[in-house]
Amino acid sequence: MERVGLQSWLFYVFVIIYGAGLFGASLGSWRAPAQALYTAIKLPLIILLTSLGNGLLNATLAPLLGVNLSLRQSLLAVLMSFTIAAVILGGFSPILYFLIWNTPLLEAGATTNAFSHSLVLLCETGMIAFAGIAANVRLLQLLGELSGSASSARKVLFGWLAGNLLLGGQLAWMLRPFVGSPYLAVEFLRPNAMEGNFFEAVFNHAAKLFSK
Amino acid sequence: MNDANPNQPPELPPLKSSATPGSPGGSRPLGEDPRDREAISGPLTAVEAMLRNPRRILYHLRQPGPGHVLFALLLIAVLCSLVYGVVVGTFSGNTKLWATPVKMAVGLVISALICLPSLYIFSCLSGAQARLSEVFGMIAGMLALMTVLLVGFAPVAWVFSQSTESLAAMGALHLAFWLVATYFGIRFLSAGFVHFSGNPTGLRVWVVLFLLVMLQMSTALRPIIGTADTFLPKEKKFFLKHWFEHLDKA
Repeated sequence: MERVGLQSWLFYVFVIIYGAGLFGASLGSWRAPAQALYTAIKLPLIILLTSLGNGLLNATLAPLLGVNLSLRQSLLAVLMSFTIAAVILGGFSPILYFLIWNTPLLEAGATTNAFSHSLVLLCETGMIAFAGIAANVRLLQLLGELSGSASSARKVLFGWLAGNLLLGGQLAWMLRPFVGSPYLAVEFLRPNAMEGNFFEAVFNHAAKLFSK
Repeated sequence: MNDANPNQPPELPPLKSSATPGSPGGSRPLGEDPRDREAISGPLTAVEAMLRNPRRILYHLRQPGPGHVLFALLLIAVLCSLVYGVVVGTFSGNTKLWATPVKMAVGLVISALICLPSLYIFSCLSGAQARLSEVFGMIAGMLALMTVLLVGFAPVAWVFSQSTESLAAMGALHLAFWLVATYFGIRFLSAGFVHFSGNPTGLRVWVVLFLLVMLQMSTALRPIIGTADTFLPKEKKFFLKHWFEHLDKA
């Protein structure tokens, strides 16, 4: 990891922008072409901002949990894992686009087929989950090789994932929508983007569910 | 001819030996490993030692004239708590941008000073061979590690500060970050205690006291996150009562 130069860093960033951007474009194309462009920008942005925002925290946690990595190395490890995820997402994007192309457009008044709607959502979630799992398995292997201890590697991965969930979840909340609602205008950011947080919303939905 | 499989990823370079990075434990005596004896020249070296080889900090605290290490650790603790304080203050803005960092740094140092005598007494009672300066050094190290971790959490805290108006949610988030940081700080302290041949039972009691003091300090110096007309509160309150009042409002 010490030998990785600027060119490789730029290459990883490019792959993330390209792969996640393609997947984002496919995702947004369900609503409108403009939404496809917006999501293509926002998805890689979340990945890069999460990697950067958690860089210091990840570099602090790694040695404390048993993997002796510097700031540069931990940032690189996270970036490499996101690159793997982006490559997989990029590979899935033609399939997702084809699926969406065969589904009625997500716009007000359109005849919505509940089955195809659910299928698209399920496929999107499955693709993202697969990419995330594959990337994290590789990251775990890398951490295990670097530390020589499977237990330390698992602890560091868990710590990093918790941090990524916290920051990534909130960034995704702020940069919503990604697919868009048929009853709302297509826009880059919602007017209330900076109001509330992802975890409050989850909590409120759960509270509503259990109060019924 | 190259026999290597082109689909095979390149082999990773040989691992650097790092027995137990980040973990200050280990049964070997301090200073046995040459890396323990490497000089600590300033705050940045101290941060690096704290994260990668905490035994180095403990070793230097045991040497004659540990003043420069103590100073470096305290400086880290104060600077990092000021930085994190600014981030906490961005939730309310205006005067909180200077008031919160000041309160956090002062609160942290006062809490440590309040708890220092009890830790020294517990360490003596439990048979630890540590002088007051060494005990002070361990507390300073704990605070430095806690605040360095808090600075790591700062970008996440800032993003949430800018996007939520819920005081209770922000309070819970900062409390969670503080608890994680305190866990690692206490782990450093416990390892130091073991190296000084102390029985950890006394330390466990002290940890509970320290946590209570810190939590009460956050209430005594309130508001840390929200706003008020005065710099310090006019009314005395127990921290649990303060929390429940805010949860009721939320």
